Amino acid sequence: MELYVILKLIWATILCVLLIGLGLMVGMDMGVGTLLRFVGRNDGERRTALNIIGPHWDGNQVWFILGGGAIFAAFPTLYATSFSVFYVVMILLLFSMILRPVAFEYRSKADSKLWRASWDWVFLVSGFLPMFIYGAAFGNILEGVGYHFGWNGQYYQDDSFFSYLLSPFVVLCGLMSVALSVYQGGVMLMLRSENPIYDRAQRYATRGGILAAVLFAIGGVFISRMKGFMMTEPANPAMPANPLHGQHVAHTAGAWLHNFTAHPVLWVLPLLGLTSMVLGTVAVRHNKSVVAWWVGLGSWVGTIGTVAAAMFPFFMPSTTAPDQSLTIWNSCASAYGLTCMLVVALIFVPLILCYTSWCYYVMRGKVRTADIIHDSHSY
Amino acid sequence: MVILRLAGLALVLVISLLFAVFVGDQGPWYFAWVIGTVMIILISGAGAILFDAQTDDSAESEV
Amino acid sequence: MDLINPTVVDLSRFQFALTALYHFMFVPLTLGLTFMLAAMETVYVVTGRKIYKEMAQFWGKLFGINFAIGVATGITMEFEFGTNWSMYSRFFGDMFGTPLAIEGLMAFFMESTFVGLMFFGWDRLSKPAHLAVTYLVALGSNLSALWILVANASMNVPEGAHFDPETMRMQFDSFVHVVFNPDAQSKFVHTSVAGYVSAALFVMGISAFYILRGQHKQFAARSFRMAALFGIISTVAVITLGDVLGRMDYEKQPTKIAAIEGLWHTSKPPYEPWILAALPDDAKQENHFEIGVPFVLTPLIAHDFNTPITGLHELEDAAEPRIRSGIEAVSALRRYGETHQQADLDIFHAHENDMGYGFLATRHAPGQDVTAIPAAALDQVVQETKPDILPNVFVTFWAFRLMVFLALYFFALFAISSYVSLKNKLERNKLLLRLCMWSIPLPILATEFGWITAEAGRQPWTVFNKLPTFMSASTHSVSYMLFSLAGFAVLYSIFIAAELYLMFKFARLGPEAHDTPHDSATPTHLHAVSSAPAAH
Repeated sequence: MELYVILKLIWATILCVLLIGLGLMVGMDMGVGTLLRFVGRNDGERRTALNIIGPHWDGNQVWFILGGGAIFAAFPTLYATSFSVFYVVMILLLFSMILRPVAFEYRSKADSKLWRASWDWVFLVSGFLPMFIYGAAFGNILEGVGYHFGWNGQYYQDDSFFSYLLSPFVVLCGLMSVALSVYQGGVMLMLRSENPIYDRAQRYATRGGILAAVLFAIGGVFISRMKGFMMTEPANPAMPANPLHGQHVAHTAGAWLHNFTAHPVLWVLPLLGLTSMVLGTVAVRHNKSVVAWWVGLGSWVGTIGTVAAAMFPFFMPSTTAPDQSLTIWNSCASAYGLTCMLVVALIFVPLILCYTSWCYYVMRGKVRTADIIHDSHSY
Repeated sequence: MVILRLAGLALVLVISLLFAVFVGDQGPWYFAWVIGTVMIILISGAGAILFDAQTDDSAESEV
Repeated sequence: MDLINPTVVDLSRFQFALTALYHFMFVPLTLGLTFMLAAMETVYVVTGRKIYKEMAQFWGKLFGINFAIGVATGITMEFEFGTNWSMYSRFFGDMFGTPLAIEGLMAFFMESTFVGLMFFGWDRLSKPAHLAVTYLVALGSNLSALWILVANASMNVPEGAHFDPETMRMQFDSFVHVVFNPDAQSKFVHTSVAGYVSAALFVMGISAFYILRGQHKQFAARSFRMAALFGIISTVAVITLGDVLGRMDYEKQPTKIAAIEGLWHTSKPPYEPWILAALPDDAKQENHFEIGVPFVLTPLIAHDFNTPITGLHELEDAAEPRIRSGIEAVSALRRYGETHQQADLDIFHAHENDMGYGFLATRHAPGQDVTAIPAAALDQVVQETKPDILPNVFVTFWAFRLMVFLALYFFALFAISSYVSLKNKLERNKLLLRLCMWSIPLPILATEFGWITAEAGRQPWTVFNKLPTFMSASTHSVSYMLFSLAGFAVLYSIFIAAELYLMFKFARLGPEAHDTPHDSATPTHLHAVSSAPAAH
């Protein structure tokens, strides 16, 4: 295989890992945000919940930034096109994402009831909305998006943003992502809190796990029946990164099952997702929160792995110009750029993992409401 | 233990020297930034310590 | 027909400028304050005097208020390249995305992870370990700026990438050229050190406020001293690097330097004056009046007495053959993209270096298609395109001047403040203290003017000489843009209101209100744990 093809594959894998890490870690914080008003009945309890993720949410949010940065650097055409095609949704996502850091830092810095209650609502919105959009985006790309390219590579949008929001499958994907984040957030609260927060978190984590499993199963049925995309002629993986040439794509029902039929071993992925969601719920019921946290990783690997397995090598298929669909092969950076980024990632990712774990180690232990109220540094 | 520490120190010195030579060659302004920032911090810290010395001497601590 | 709507381009530019200027209100303070915190904590660790810990914690709290919005509004910037500058991101993303991604991996991660420990780790880490964490936050935030400015420099002086007709974009080919781009180097140091100046004046101004009120004297006098010394050296550095950047632009971006100096006609060394004030008129292409200092311009820019500086009119005329050649290049490129004929590729390669000027002409071509220009209309298209190569002179000229005047003012202010502080005569100089207090927002303003100079002076290009701004924007409808602009206006107004409210609140409360009465002698953490059972 050509070096360029290997690089493309490596970066597609890294992107998958980032999307999983993002779903897990950012989803966890978002879940806590969504649950904040429900697990905390008074100000002290809410502050406890916030401080459980307090020392780490900022680092976790960087996964999100990094996800964006990695798409930009490794798949510039995908970044340029998808962010623009989903403009309204992306801007909403952005608004809710920028409200979060401010909410964390500002909420507990003034005593007024109205001030704190407003920021609590901000936490709800900025926890729920981004996860919903995150999931919905997967729904959208599975259904295909209407766009085509001009001769110089400028994209042109062929349908309005409403059509991206109003599909039942898209809503289902969004809700499923929210359910997974509620599950993970609940488990995180269980890990580091005491009663009464613990009990409430346990209840919501259970509901999140069950809902995710049910929606995942229904989503599977949708995917097997919807109009998917497949190459009618084998693509050349080493092609220059230009979506205007060199592909022939069909838009037909059941095409998303094509990869599963060709490689039955891929069925492991949806199976992993479903069992993780069920097992996680069981673990939560039996107070095994550490196990439940790690099983949550399985749910994300299973879910995103399933989407990746179904779509490979597509990233964002086009309904109006299927031949110009963005794939791993035609939307990536140059071989030089991918190599550069790979070297940098190989140096820094281990470093990041080291100091992030050290941070968790330093800040370990249960967070108590009484500590929070006395500690002037807390959120 | 002492030898280990010395070896560690030597390693740090060698690495900073190599870093300084490389960056000083390729990016003189980057190098200037590193040196300059250290200098700014040290001078402003020295100013504070000087302040402590000044006010310790005079009973009337006018600021 | 897929046409570019100029209104959408203007709205996209407006939105980007708005969000970038807003983001940049918070960044300089972060860049500088982190190193000031590190300096204070260093003194604490070295001398063991608790007042320096209080200083690090109090200024750290104000830093936190500022940091949150800096981070939040930074996310906007990363999104906007994709959401609003699709063509730019596709055309230049292969190279441009790399420094941005490295910024995340190398700097932003470090900064964000350790900032949590910096706030929460006082009781959990040893003194030297906490100091190290503070330094890592400072280093992280400045490395973050480094990579962003490396990316920005590549738009201004595109090095380390070449255009490839197969992929229709700039292909990244030299990491070293991008990172050690001289423009990137001086831009980074200039910007980082400008942040130091902002932070120094911020600390100095609030300390002056306490001294004026006779509150927290010991605390304020020490903070003032440290800030004044921090500021004076930083101001010298900022001015030096500004001069370096000017010389760089003179070589690489002559249109920018001519616009900065309001120089319509090539200068006559050595007499040519440096214009102090003028009223540049972009429509008539002349200055309405000028007040200048003779013999200054040439040595200022070229560092000698006999190099003529090319004027805007001459630059415009020099662009004419490049526009003609660029039209050939773009026409050949388009034909090549559609039919892949070797002959077209050869024509393209012959005119490759002028491709950007051909793109610039698309705006004036019938149907925005240069291949459709009839031979008879070619001259007219070229003449219409010529003035497009110049940036807005009025804006660039005045943004630059205001920045420079402010920098000179800071130099004087820090010099006097350092002197008075070293003599311990602050309390007697009420006027100086008031001046310091009222000057807090000025460095922020100066950095904004600096940004406007650099980016307005880069126009009409997003990638200098390669891709015009006009072609770079996403093809949105006006209603999309109005939606996002309205959202930004509302959100950002709330942010600034909340930020100012908290800043004033905590600055007024002062350092003593910040620490618990027990202070750190009895760690608050242990204290709280012992009372924890009461919570159940």
